[in-house]
Amino acid sequence: MEHLKLSKDKLGDFVAKLGDKEVLVPQKEGEALKFVPLTGDSVPELDYANTSVPPKNAVFPQTETMLRFEWGKMETTAVTGEAKEKVFFGVRPCDARAKVIVDKLFTWDEKDPYYVEKREKSTVVGLACAEPCSNCFCTSVGGGPASTEGLDVLLTDLGESYLVQPLTDEGQSLCQAASDDLEKAAEGDVQAAEKVHQEAEKKISRQIDTGGIPEGLPGLWENELWEKVSQSCLGCGICTYLCPTCHCFDMQDEVEGFDGRRCRTWDSCMFSEYTMHASGHNPRPTRRERTRNRINHKYSYFVDKFDVIACVGCGRCISLCPVNIDILDILSKVKEAL
Amino acid sequence: MVDLDKLRTVAKETVSRDDVKYLIGWSQGTFGFRVSPHFVKEPEEVDSLTFSPLCCNNLATYLTLTEKNPVPRGEEADTRKVALMVKGCDSRAVVQQLVEHGVGRDQVYIIGCPCEGVVDVKKVEKKFGELLEPVQASWENGKVSFQLPGGQVESLPREEVLAQNCLTCRYPNPVVSDILLWDEVEVKGNDDYEDVKELESKSSQDKWAYWQDKFTSCIRCYSCRNVCPLCYCEDCILDRLNPTWVFRSTNVAENTAFQMARAFHLAGRCIECGECERVCPVDIPLMKINRKLYKEVHEKYEFEPGLDPETKPFQASYRPDDKEDFIL
Repeated sequence: MEHLKLSKDKLGDFVAKLGDKEVLVPQKEGEALKFVPLTGDSVPELDYANTSVPPKNAVFPQTETMLRFEWGKMETTAVTGEAKEKVFFGVRPCDARAKVIVDKLFTWDEKDPYYVEKREKSTVVGLACAEPCSNCFCTSVGGGPASTEGLDVLLTDLGESYLVQPLTDEGQSLCQAASDDLEKAAEGDVQAAEKVHQEAEKKISRQIDTGGIPEGLPGLWENELWEKVSQSCLGCGICTYLCPTCHCFDMQDEVEGFDGRRCRTWDSCMFSEYTMHASGHNPRPTRRERTRNRINHKYSYFVDKFDVIACVGCGRCISLCPVNIDILDILSKVKEAL
Repeated sequence: MVDLDKLRTVAKETVSRDDVKYLIGWSQGTFGFRVSPHFVKEPEEVDSLTFSPLCCNNLATYLTLTEKNPVPRGEEADTRKVALMVKGCDSRAVVQQLVEHGVGRDQVYIIGCPCEGVVDVKKVEKKFGELLEPVQASWENGKVSFQLPGGQVESLPREEVLAQNCLTCRYPNPVVSDILLWDEVEVKGNDDYEDVKELESKSSQDKWAYWQDKFTSCIRCYSCRNVCPLCYCEDCILDRLNPTWVFRSTNVAENTAFQMARAFHLAGRCIECGECERVCPVDIPLMKINRKLYKEVHEKYEFEPGLDPETKPFQASYRPDDKEDFIL
């Protein structure tokens, strides 16, 4: 598809032409950056490394009503088909790739109607990373600062303008709708963008060779490393809730007055309640077993089932862990123990 | 003055004791300004222990957080002490745990580290960027000095880099300890509750709008609860399902219920270490709530928690001369 160019001063106009779709852009709330719906004439703020909260909430909401019921009645009403068309604007390639990975899970045997509906109604405009974060390691897990997996359009910052690269039919039609604001890119622009991509890749300094980890992890089940790496764990949900690929959920029936709803909410394998049985027995009684599960799930079980590591190397769990539990540190200890 | 040689020597002697299970201190983290809580079981592991303005973690949390597997039949439970390195605020958390019988005095060996205040990582990362190479820091005559990658040294006034609760801290020296590692430091903080007064001066509607906005952001990761050295109920009201006091659904009502439940349970107990606010990934100013309650208890009952292991818990004490003028 043809490469286009968008001048930075036309960014607001471009976004305004995305039609009646809801546009989600990175925005600051306090010190925390997250994807929020764009309102009014505001222009998306694209000068950021990555959001602290990934955009997964819009396709896999933290709280989602699945069906409704009324006290004393036997009927239930399923809640589907209510999702709006959405455009994610300025998503980093790692977060877009995460959606493709999570798709495998939600469409594996039964298609999850709640997730699939939102996914089908979303268009993703990505923004290649020119300045990766210090803890990024996307290149070690199959991604890259300009990876196009899961994107409909890729933007690359060229200083005064963006190179606009439509990647799918949705991306193409999105660009056509805003063709007034776009111009044809020159050969030099394409080369400049390639240079940005290459430079960005060089700036990624954290790396791990994942070779041997997926096959080797099951053999390290009782290894002492798990106790060592989990000793300081607080058992909170930061690493999993802010992970773009973590997708575990809980289901609850909640009743207020006569109105009831069955909803699913994010859950975290780092909580003791996650595996608590009704009997009171917990097969993962301490944070040692829970940490071991988190690593095994991402780097072994998921690979076994779907042939891809369920980690995109965004580095959020490293940067935001309150006690500096570092997944790359754990993986290097795993490699040593193999 | 921080004396790392002494810290390591004492640590080595402590973990070598027969009655000590392990020691918890701080060590250099894996990147930038980060420091990790460090568990030492063997004397040879003490060399990585450190103490600097980067040691923000309140380690008293681990006294109550550590999960124990059931003791196998025929074996005896390990009743040896845990040795714990504490700053002023951390020691206050230990005192409060002792007062509440959450921890027994014979279960803990306290190594006191007088502290001139720890840095707010968000503030320093704003100044120096999110560095990858490990950074060293030290206190120097009212300034904090950073040894940055490449050998560059930068000294910044403490007001610019220290965590807010350290700037108003009135207890930088451990209030309880079995051994003090170096001389006590001068108390520089003077808390006049400026931040709380500012919030108090707003109208109810403005306050509600402010907190509604903040609590909408809450992702209920429970990091504030888990990092808190005084949130240690074995059966937390927030985890209960039968009855469910707080729904798992995230919305402003449930999130507010969660945060309010936590705040009330900490009234007269919070020792202002500021860990909840530090760890919050969505930047909710939780200390504003805790400090409001701290101020109420301080002013109305002339009580401050976590200072004397011999006191009774605030909510279990009664004095005939308690003020009554605010009771309707």
